Amino acid sequence: MDSSFDIIVVGGGHAGTEAAAATARMGARTLLVTMSLEAIGRMSCNPAIGGIGKGHIVREIDALGGIMGSAADAAGIQFRMLNRRKGPAVWGPRAQSDRIEYATFVRQALENIPELYMRADMVTALEVAHGRVCGVRTRLGRTYGAKAVILTNGTFMNGLIHVGEHQFGGGRMGERQSTGLTGQLHELGFESGRLKTGTPPRIDGSTIDYTATTEQPGDENPSPFSFMTDELTRDQLSCHLIWTNPEVHAVLRKGFEQSPMFAGRIEGTGPRYCPSIEDKIDRFAAKERHQLFLEPEGRRTTEVYVNGFSTSLPEEIQEQALRRVPGLQQVHMLRPGYAIEYDYFPPHQLQYSLETKKIRGLFFAGQINGTTGYEEAAAQGLMAGINAVRGLGAESPVILRRSEAYIGVLIDDLIAKGTEEPYRMFTSRAEHRMLLRQDNADERLTPLGQRLGLVSEARYQRMQTRQEAVKAIISRLSEHTIHPETCNCYLKESGTTPINEPVKAIQIVRRPEVGLKDLLEAAGIVSQIVDPAPGMEPVEQLAEISIKYAGYVARQEEEAKKMIAMESRQIPQSFNFAEVNNITMEAREKLSKIQPETLGQASRISGVSPADIAVLMVLLER
Amino acid sequence: MLAQDTIAAIATAPGLAALSIVRVSGPEACPIASTCFSGHNLETAASHTAHVGMWKSPEGSRIDQVVATVFRRPRTATGEDVVEITCHGGDYVAALVLQSLLDQGARLARPGEFTQRAFLAGKMDLAQAEAVADLIHASSEQAHRVSLAAYEGHYSEGLEALRTAILELCALAELEIDFTDEDVEFADRTTLRNLIENALGQVQELLESTRLGTVVREGVRVVIAGRPNAGKSTILNSLSGRDRAIVSEEPGTTRDVLEVDAELGGLRFRFMDTAGLRKSTDSIEQEGVQRAYRMINKADIVVYVYDLACGFLEEDQTALNGLDNTSVILVGNKADLVPKEKRKGLQLTAIGGPKAVEPLVRALLKQATKSYGNADVSRTVINARHKTHLKSAHQALLDARAALSANQPPDIFSLDLQAAARELGMITGVITNETVLGTIFSRFCIGK
Repeated sequence: MDSSFDIIVVGGGHAGTEAAAATARMGARTLLVTMSLEAIGRMSCNPAIGGIGKGHIVREIDALGGIMGSAADAAGIQFRMLNRRKGPAVWGPRAQSDRIEYATFVRQALENIPELYMRADMVTALEVAHGRVCGVRTRLGRTYGAKAVILTNGTFMNGLIHVGEHQFGGGRMGERQSTGLTGQLHELGFESGRLKTGTPPRIDGSTIDYTATTEQPGDENPSPFSFMTDELTRDQLSCHLIWTNPEVHAVLRKGFEQSPMFAGRIEGTGPRYCPSIEDKIDRFAAKERHQLFLEPEGRRTTEVYVNGFSTSLPEEIQEQALRRVPGLQQVHMLRPGYAIEYDYFPPHQLQYSLETKKIRGLFFAGQINGTTGYEEAAAQGLMAGINAVRGLGAESPVILRRSEAYIGVLIDDLIAKGTEEPYRMFTSRAEHRMLLRQDNADERLTPLGQRLGLVSEARYQRMQTRQEAVKAIISRLSEHTIHPETCNCYLKESGTTPINEPVKAIQIVRRPEVGLKDLLEAAGIVSQIVDPAPGMEPVEQLAEISIKYAGYVARQEEEAKKMIAMESRQIPQSFNFAEVNNITMEAREKLSKIQPETLGQASRISGVSPADIAVLMVLLER
Repeated sequence: MLAQDTIAAIATAPGLAALSIVRVSGPEACPIASTCFSGHNLETAASHTAHVGMWKSPEGSRIDQVVATVFRRPRTATGEDVVEITCHGGDYVAALVLQSLLDQGARLARPGEFTQRAFLAGKMDLAQAEAVADLIHASSEQAHRVSLAAYEGHYSEGLEALRTAILELCALAELEIDFTDEDVEFADRTTLRNLIENALGQVQELLESTRLGTVVREGVRVVIAGRPNAGKSTILNSLSGRDRAIVSEEPGTTRDVLEVDAELGGLRFRFMDTAGLRKSTDSIEQEGVQRAYRMINKADIVVYVYDLACGFLEEDQTALNGLDNTSVILVGNKADLVPKEKRKGLQLTAIGGPKAVEPLVRALLKQATKSYGNADVSRTVINARHKTHLKSAHQALLDARAALSANQPPDIFSLDLQAAARELGMITGVITNETVLGTIFSRFCIGK
């Protein structure tokens, strides 16, 4: 192996694998360095991909030619479309995964990419010259040269694991932490912080009394994540619901004194939306029970993940408490839950391309930027990969707008607002939710993927054919006249008012109570469309969504335009925010730190109010 | 970044007065003023001190004996060094003082520039800066009270409850969307509807106060209407104490709408004299009548005048019935021409001047204060910009209510709630997605 590469990716988690796959597939000679090849694509925490907001990101990664969607489809053991009874914008695909199969799929996907090389070693230092990264040094003493380096170190940098009063270095339970890099990055002028996250215990499924649980089966007609998955054929496994009770809480409380969180041994900030069980009973003391999900870890193991029971209490307390939960009286714990603290680099130090402001050619992606979640990490890995390659040819970076993709929201939030707790995606973070549906991810992003060389021509054609099919249905509905006698029966059944005279079919489809497919059936209109992507939501449904929600979509498109206009108002680089007196101290500090390039960006920084923006406008116009 | 140059302007209103004040603000304020001033070295003068001395032109000619008051930054109105020169009144002396400052290197301030500097120096927030403009233009006691309340920040406090209500609504909608798998109780639709109603009520109240805001700033709009030759123009002249309207025996003298401002009992009124209401073949007069009706529709109060000598005619009754306005004061004019007895409305002889229309003034004040006088000043929306945002927020809440009634899912009605929050945020400070999430995390136990 020649020791010189175009791009080096450090880390083989969800960010690192997407980054390396993207760079190599875009034609860059890529080296992926990871401490353990076995850990490539490993799911450190829950064995699931997607969810609300997160599922949207997976669909976007897939639309850009990433790995995650296909991997989740291949390794999926249970598929659910969350929020299906709500509006189409917030449907969230989610799948339980077989942990081993998932990692295997990712590893194989990487092995199949020419120009992608892997190496098991630990990167201990960056090679930097004249403000530009030019390679990495490893623990085994090797130096590899590269024009760009993408750091995706996850929770490994100075990782510190806590279980009760025990604490020890580690990147994940059973894997050692990485050291050295943080110190060097400090010397290079980077600012770092500490974050905390946690994971629940794993238990032996054969010791669970399933009769005391509530089964939660997968969807009858499961939907895959990937546009290229035509069908999900394997049997699905169920998850099971159980609840804690005051007795469980009493046992947990006994361990509070030894809790690293309550005793202050943990300095890092944990996520508010994923609190530990001790945090939940402490903060919501009045709540008598908390819901727990028993999630199978795979098809060929009895290991079960206890979702909702994240904890860093002493191991024996964990097991005692679990055994008070109805259904788990006889349970055998396989691995204890633990908390982990790790270094991250506040993301205001990045450009929108994810390249650092300080060192050219150096990119950060994933948990190192303060996010949590496989999906958030993978999305950053993909974008860092794309932009690292763009940088090689001095091409302008690819920056997704907030109105274009959840990935755009994610990166803009990170850079404009920073994060004080591990950042997770929610649909409520996206102001243009109606535009960023999971069903239109391909339409939004596949053309870009194709231009970048990440999406095959066949896939692009498939997407186009599908778009045309949707358009054909809509134009057919706007031409086709429906007579009262053919549809009134159906309309009455659906609880909506019958029609008195013939109308265009599209007018009836606009009614909330009417389903397009049902109407077509009732009216005897035969659809001859062969769906080019049979795994996805049927084309009729896409047509129905675009008809029913046209007004809302148009409204959001208007708002998005206004936002883009604010983005075009540039703030000169020389602008000194520290000298602006009439904005709050907080706004002044944040603006100075982040140095937004446009008024739009400035307006989204937390702590910057419309009044502050008004001041900036006045000053900029003077 | 901050003002580099020094600005000067006459701070007092033009016209005859005992004193005038010329103000100069900026880094060079003290040195510039000092070159024109003999009596004390203003460059070394302590902050917040006043000095008597002679003001001289750059050529050395004496202009006036003045008091120069020195304010040193940062505790000044603009946050910069400020010198106020109090000279003798009259436009001429003040103009000479100003000119000498300009000759010494100060720049003539643009309108509102002192306020702008105060705003940029962090001396007031946007709402306050807007209130200053209103305060300067306040032309009555009530306007002054409202502007002062806004300037002192009461107004923003009034909006806080509303902001909390909207935030709560957004949080409830988002909770249902993003945490569907969580073990939390989602708000039922009745609770949501009640919360929306409540928020609507608060926005409505603020919006209604915009009427008071307009009245306070622009005066109570009083339209004087009636059949031709009832003496409307005479009433206008007597109310305003000025001989504004042409009065004649000829019916139909007034054709266009004539407006006169007057302050009565601490309230500002805008009186509008209109063409007599009758069918006419004269196209100009016809247009005048149409304009009269348009004015009547926009009026806060209508004074309907009839001629006592002719009596209250059927046409008067028809015209009165046609008035789509609740606040009508009926006046019988020319009381001197008829024997005293009980008749419809107030009886007066408008030709007798201001004294003769006093009963009408009392009636107007009573009517105006009934509608506006006792409104809560701190909750009065006076600023047009605020009103625009409130109107949009109101519409968004109505849309949310409609979506909820149509059984739309939360992601749909949340669009409207977010819009309402955004509009409100433009007045009180942002409600961001992060704020909404923060509310969710603090109130609900989230996290599998």
